[in-house]
Amino acid sequence: MRGLAQTKARGPLVMIVVMGFLAISILHLLLTIATSQSVYELSDLKREKRELDTTLQIVAEEVAALSSQQNLLNTASKLGMVTNSNPVFLRLDDQKVLGKPKPALGSSSQSRNLVANSSMINQAPAKQKAAPASTETPEPLSEVPEVSTVSAIPASPTR
Amino acid sequence: MNHAGPVSARRIRLMVTISVILVAVFAIRLIDFQIVRAESINETSLEKRAVTMTIPAVRGDILDANGKVLATTVYRYDINAAPAIVRPVEKVIDGISQVVSVESVVQELASILELDAAELLPKLIGTSHYVNLKKRVDAETHRQIVELGIPWIFSDAHQNRLYPNGAVAGNLTGFVGTDGDALAGIERQFNACLAGVDGKESFEKGVDGIKIPASTVVLQEARAGQNVVLTIDADLQYQAQQVLASEVRRLDADWATAVVIEVKTGRIVLAAEAPSVDPNNPGKSKPEERGARVFQFAFEPGSTMKAITAATAIETGYANVGTPVRAPYSLRVFDHTITDSFGHPATNWTLTGVLRFSSNTGTIKIAENIPAKTRYEYMERFGFGKPTAVAFEGETRGVLNHYKDWDGVTNYTTMFGQALSVSPVQMASAYQTLANEGVRLNPVLVAGCQDSDGNLTAVPKENATQVVSAATANDVMHMLEKVVEQGGIGQATAVSGYRSAGKTGTAEIKEGSGYGRYYAASFYGMAPVDNPQYAMGVMIYKPKQVWQNSMAAAAGYQKILSQVLLANRVPPSTGKSPDLPTEWK
Repeated sequence: MRGLAQTKARGPLVMIVVMGFLAISILHLLLTIATSQSVYELSDLKREKRELDTTLQIVAEEVAALSSQQNLLNTASKLGMVTNSNPVFLRLDDQKVLGKPKPALGSSSQSRNLVANSSMINQAPAKQKAAPASTETPEPLSEVPEVSTVSAIPASPTR
Repeated sequence: MNHAGPVSARRIRLMVTISVILVAVFAIRLIDFQIVRAESINETSLEKRAVTMTIPAVRGDILDANGKVLATTVYRYDINAAPAIVRPVEKVIDGISQVVSVESVVQELASILELDAAELLPKLIGTSHYVNLKKRVDAETHRQIVELGIPWIFSDAHQNRLYPNGAVAGNLTGFVGTDGDALAGIERQFNACLAGVDGKESFEKGVDGIKIPASTVVLQEARAGQNVVLTIDADLQYQAQQVLASEVRRLDADWATAVVIEVKTGRIVLAAEAPSVDPNNPGKSKPEERGARVFQFAFEPGSTMKAITAATAIETGYANVGTPVRAPYSLRVFDHTITDSFGHPATNWTLTGVLRFSSNTGTIKIAENIPAKTRYEYMERFGFGKPTAVAFEGETRGVLNHYKDWDGVTNYTTMFGQALSVSPVQMASAYQTLANEGVRLNPVLVAGCQDSDGNLTAVPKENATQVVSAATANDVMHMLEKVVEQGGIGQATAVSGYRSAGKTGTAEIKEGSGYGRYYAASFYGMAPVDNPQYAMGVMIYKPKQVWQNSMAAAAGYQKILSQVLLANRVPPSTGKSPDLPTEWK
């Protein structure tokens, strides 16, 4: 009778232990599921990053090829632009022209690229659509303004 | 019932004892495996299934002064196949699962890889697990291949060096080999900055040798290389190379160089040459075109050295801008006859006139009383006879023999740039000194090594040396301005709106024991004279069309100088040049 009573008294304790184990197991299971989910998510994000890195490389290479000096010159000369090594300045306070304006004639060798760039072979610039080259010859200036050597800031060469 | 009790109890005790023994045995073994020998067992196990791989560090970029990329690292991919498992590919097209034949897949592959399908197909037959279809395809092509979803196609990624602007500054950047080893130029000289540190990773493989997914463990992160920032302006470098290439063609010259140095900082704005190596494909260039002649080639400068002789004469009190000499066409010196480059009767020139007409005999008359030791020391102080502080790999020191080794004639010929040799950058640096009130600054090509936060390290030390007084340097510059104002060649170098100064140089080129037929034509100078910003020089080597004088260098000099002044928005000059007579009565 005493043994039975003792067993009865231990019943709730055993139940608590069993329930505790069960709770811990379920919690462990849930955490494992959550961790596994995170691992998949991490794997997806890593794959996405790889894809984005590849996209970045593709775009960066394309931008580099488009902005290479060789491509810019080819495009500029297709637009009819030539280099002029004869600068002329306009002084704003009295509108005086400094320098002797001469038409930029640009030799054919100067109008086409002479600096090798084999990285451009497979790049987009080769397929670029360019405006048709100008066929007009610039009109020679009839009047050559007087030269003066006073300070003035040259206009931006890019405009 | 009473009879069976003790037997049952004995059996239970026996069972318990056996169980305890078994558990004890297992426990001992478990402790042995898990604790005592755990490490060695793990190692043995890992050795059998784990593979350790190097994670290559991404090499740093080479940038110009404005951050434009001159060299960078990109990934290229080898496309491979495993013929042993080649079979038709299952694909879902418009929601319907379809089987695509090997032939159709090969057609798609061939189209993307720009290969002939007829050549590709035989490669896919066999029992091999590896066959390369195409090497080093770009990322876009690789992505198209991956999107095909062919299970028997795989790829290997490789780092590849890309020089987006090709030969622009290719002589300076140098290049790397196909294995990624730095072979020349800044790539090799600054390899410690660019290279980074490789990392390590391990992954586990299955029995079939295939990588087990999600088994990768990074043992050591790779540390990317840092960037090297140059002082070069890539746009101006390109324009200079373009001009030089055009001039080399027009003049039928061997090659040409141009150097521009910022007067007040010593920074090299451009160091161009033509032809120049395209680092993307160095094998296409001749071996002698794969370096940087601006730093590595020494030539007899000829008359550009007269500016240095004049500065020495003024600084040491042997002459001034108006010192009169009577210069004959020829002078007999020891067993040699020294002549001017053009015939003339004995003429009364001042030192200014001597420079303006580039008279060899007049230069001798001016400098003959200066001790050889003094002239030698000034040449050294101007930077001749030793490599510049740039210390470019393979940089020449030129040839400046000790004055005690000069024979009678050499004592005179060194006055006008013979019997010694200089590199293009050494001469430009000497003219920077004259333009900077006599203060020589170490030429700078590399601004520093740039970390990921943009901070520069390994910045070169500034070093300023007063070589001659400001008054002497300005006197020489004003005399050189007369060369541009009045000289036929000099005028061809003038840029409208700016006062500039410079000196012609037509140097003979050694061939065997004597001099050959062709010359190294050069022009070195500075601009604007009223506020010097840039010192520069152009040298055309062995022009066959205009070979008698330095007119060959004039057109290229003018074009490059005009671009440098305009691109940097240098204000036009003010005032007039001082009145310096070239003759006396």
